Amino acid sequence: MKSNLWNILKKELRELFRDKKSLAMMLIIPIFIPLIVLGMSALFEAQANKDVEEYNKIGFAYEMTDIEKEIANSMNIEIINGTEEELKQKYENSEIDLYITKDGNKYIINSDASDTSTYAKEYMGAYFDAYKQALQQQYLQENNIEPSEILNIITVEENVFEEDNFFASYIKNYAFLFIIMAITVSATYPSTDTTAGEKERGTLETLLTFPIKSRDIIIGKFLGVSLSSIITGLISLVLAIVSLVVAQDAFSIYEGMDIMFTPISIVFAIVVIIAYSIFISGLCISVASTSKTFKEAQSALTPLTFISFFPGMIAFMMGVVGTPLISIIPFLNYTVTFTDINAGNVDLLNIFLMFVSTIVYIAIVLAYIIKQYKSEKVLFSK
Amino acid sequence: MHMVKVDNLKKKFVKYKNKKEKEEFYANNGISFEAKDGEIIGILGPNGAGKTTLLRMIAGILEPTEGTVSFDNLNYKNNEIEIKKNLAYLSGNTKLYDTLSTYELLRMCTDIYGVPKDVAEKRIKELSKILNMDSFLYNKIGNLSTGQTQRVNIARCLVHNPKYYILDEATTGLDIISSQIILDFIKQEKQKGKTILYSTHYMEEAENICDRVIMINKGAVINSGTPDKIKEDTKTTNLRDAFFAMIGGVSYEE
Repeated sequence: MKSNLWNILKKELRELFRDKKSLAMMLIIPIFIPLIVLGMSALFEAQANKDVEEYNKIGFAYEMTDIEKEIANSMNIEIINGTEEELKQKYENSEIDLYITKDGNKYIINSDASDTSTYAKEYMGAYFDAYKQALQQQYLQENNIEPSEILNIITVEENVFEEDNFFASYIKNYAFLFIIMAITVSATYPSTDTTAGEKERGTLETLLTFPIKSRDIIIGKFLGVSLSSIITGLISLVLAIVSLVVAQDAFSIYEGMDIMFTPISIVFAIVVIIAYSIFISGLCISVASTSKTFKEAQSALTPLTFISFFPGMIAFMMGVVGTPLISIIPFLNYTVTFTDINAGNVDLLNIFLMFVSTIVYIAIVLAYIIKQYKSEKVLFSK
Repeated sequence: MHMVKVDNLKKKFVKYKNKKEKEEFYANNGISFEAKDGEIIGILGPNGAGKTTLLRMIAGILEPTEGTVSFDNLNYKNNEIEIKKNLAYLSGNTKLYDTLSTYELLRMCTDIYGVPKDVAEKRIKELSKILNMDSFLYNKIGNLSTGQTQRVNIARCLVHNPKYYILDEATTGLDIISSQIILDFIKQEKQKGKTILYSTHYMEEAENICDRVIMINKGAVINSGTPDKIKEDTKTTNLRDAFFAMIGGVSYEE
C-alpha cells in the first residue's frame, strides 16, 4: 500500500481551511503588519519632526544681555524671566522646559532627564555655542582683529557618502520581526487544534485505527500546519511591502531614502519565511502533541510567541551580524540572516546553514514525536 | 479459516500519586483467547475491568507491555498496516470529523484503505442505501443527529469490507433505535462470516448476540465459554448473576 501521507495532508488542509478560527489566524494576523509599519513610521516622524515650539520655553534667572536676547529671538526661544525659585516652581509645574541660572561666567542648565528637557538641552547647547561665538567675535573686533581669521582658522566639512537610512533599515527590520511574530501566532492555533484538539474531540482514536503509520500522521499534520504558516508569512510579506510603499510616500522622514525591500532581499526573505514556518510549525506540533488538552497545549505554546520575537529584536538592537555559528542558533538565526540580507550582506553560507540546521532540528523533533506517538501518555488525554 | 489469536496480553500503566510517588498496575494481566470466522466474541466486565485497554491493544492503537496479537498469523510488529487494512474499530469514544460531509469521510476512508475509486463510489452508494443515509450523504457530520452519526460510523467500518470488527461499548449511551442499528449490523456481518469482538457491560445484550463470552474483572479473565456454559458453571440463569457469582457479589470497594 502506498504512503497515506497525501491522504492525511488532504484531510488536514480540508479541516484547516474549513475551520473559521484557523482561517482567521492565518489571514487576519497579517493585517496587523501594515498597522504596525505605518504606526511606527508615524511615531518616528513625530520624534524626528518634533516642533521647536514644544521645547522652547526657557527660564532665565538672571538679566540677559542684548546679544543674548537677540540670539534667543533669532532661535525662537520664548524667554521667561524670574528668580531661581520662581523658575523652579514653573519648571515643576511644566510651564517651562528648563531654566538657566548663572554664577559669574558659569551658566547652569537646570532640568531632569525627560524627553522634552533632553530636546530643550540640545537646543540650549546650540544657543550657548552661538552666544559664545558672538562674544568671541565682539572681543576680536574690539581688539581690531578680523574674527574670520581666528574663528575660521580651520574649517570642517561633512561629506556623507550615502543617505542616512537609519529609519529605513529600522522599519524594514521591524517589519520582518513582525512577520516572524505573525507566523508564530498563526502556527500555534492549527497545531493545537490538529493534535490536542483531535485528542479532545475523540477523532484521534479513529485516525489511529486506520492503516496509517504514525510517521505519516505526524508528517501530514506538520506539513498542513507548515503550509498554513507559510501562507501567513507570504501574506504578511506582501502586506509589509505594500505598507512600505505607502509609508515611503506618506512620511517625510523617508524622503530621499529607498525603504523598499530590494528584489534580492524579497527572494531571500521568502527563503527565511519558509525556513522559519517549517521550524515553528514542527516545534508547535511537537509541544502540542504531548499536551493532553487544547488548553494545556495553548498554555505550553504561549511562551513561544515571546521567544520567537525577543532574541531577534535584541540582536537587531545590538547590531549582531550573521556568522556561521549564529546561523545555526534557532530563533536568532532567522532575524539576523534577514537583517544581513536587508543591509546588502548576502552570505550564502549563512543562509544555507540556517536552512539546513532548521531541517535537522525539525527532523530530530519530529522523529522524537513519531516515537512518542505510540505511547498512551501522548495519545490519550485521560 | 481466519483467526484472531490473543496470547498472554499484558498492559502495565503507571499512576502518579504525586510528583514523587508512582504506582504501577496491570490493566490487563495475561489475557489469552482465540476467535474464528463468523464468531461473535463478547468481552464482558464492569467499567474499569480493562475491556477498552484490551481492545485498543487488539486494534493496534496501544502497544502491549507483554504478549502478542495476531490476525491470520500476522502480528503488529511486522505487519501493522496489513492487519489494520482488514480491521474495523468502533467504540463509544471514536468520533468523526465534524467539518467533513459523510461522503467526504467515506471517500477519505476508501482512499486510506486503498479501495479503487470506482469500487469506492459503488460501495458508498450501496452503504448509503442500506443504512438509509441518502438524505444526509453530503451534509456536514457536525450537523447530523446522534443516530445519523452512528450510521456514518458503521458505514466507515464497512466501507473497506474488513474481515474483523472490534466494537468497544459501541451501544453505550445510545438510544434504543441507535443501539438496535448497531446490533442489527453485528448480526448481518456475522452472517457474512466476519469475526466480531464485542465489548459491553450490558450482560443481557451480550447474552443475545455472542457465541462465546470472555468475562474479565480487574484486568484478568475470570471465565470464558458460551453463555450457556458460563451459566451452567455458576448455576445461574443469566450472565449478570453469573458475573456476580464469580466475583463473590457486589463490592462497593474500589
